[in-house]
Amino acid sequence: MKEQPIKNFFVAGPISPQKIAESIAGHSTKKNIGAHSIFLGQVRADENKEGTVQAIEYTTYQAMALEQMHQIREALFKKYTLTCMHVYHSIGLVKAGEICLFVFVSSVHRKDAIAACEEMVEAIKFKLPIWGKEILDNQKTVWKENH
Amino acid sequence: MMVLFFGNLVDITQQSELAWPFIHNTMQLQQVLYEQYPALQTAQYVMAVNGKMIQTNTILQEGDTIAFMPPFSGG
Repeated sequence: MKEQPIKNFFVAGPISPQKIAESIAGHSTKKNIGAHSIFLGQVRADENKEGTVQAIEYTTYQAMALEQMHQIREALFKKYTLTCMHVYHSIGLVKAGEICLFVFVSSVHRKDAIAACEEMVEAIKFKLPIWGKEILDNQKTVWKENH
Repeated sequence: MMVLFFGNLVDITQQSELAWPFIHNTMQLQQVLYEQYPALQTAQYVMAVNGKMIQTNTILQEGDTIAFMPPFSGG
C-alpha cells in the first residue's frame, strides 16, 4: 500500500515493552488488517571464553542506514501486499534481557506479513551499517558478529 | 574529504572521523591509510562513498565522504 518517507527508526537505549504494547493497540483502528507479524530481538547474556555478555552497545552510520532502510522498505512493499511496517532499532547501550529490535509488519493476510517480517529482520542483520559491541562482565569488550 | 571509520576499525584508527586532503581514488586512499594504520590492511571491511557501497576502485571528488565499515552486526 502506501510507502512512507524516510524516517529515523533508531531509538536511544532499549525498546520498552510499553512502546510495543502501545504500537499494537494503535493498530486497532486499521480494520482492514487481518495479520500482524512481530519480531523482537533481545540481548542475550552469551557466555564465551572472554566472559559473559552484560550489554551490547550499538553504533551506526546513520545517514546510510536510513537510506538503506528506505530502499529495503520500498522493495518489500512492492514484493508483498502490506498494510504497514514499523521498525525500531536501538542505538547506544542495551542490557542483557532488554529489547534491541522491534519489527512490526501488518497485512490483510498472514503469509505476506510473516514473509515480509522475516525478510526485514534478515536485511537489518546483513544490509544495515549497524555494529554491536558486547560489554562483558569483566569490562572487556568483544565486537559482535552476525551469522 | 571526510573519512569515517566504524565498529572495530575505530580500535585501529583511534578516531571515527578524519578530515583528509583530496585524493584521486579510493585505492590511493587505502594505500595511504595502510601506511598510517598498518592493522587496517588485514582488517575485514567494505567501503562506501557518500553512503553508497562500492566494489571497485572509485574516482573521488572534493568533499566526498568515504566510509570504512567492518561486517555489519545489528539486531
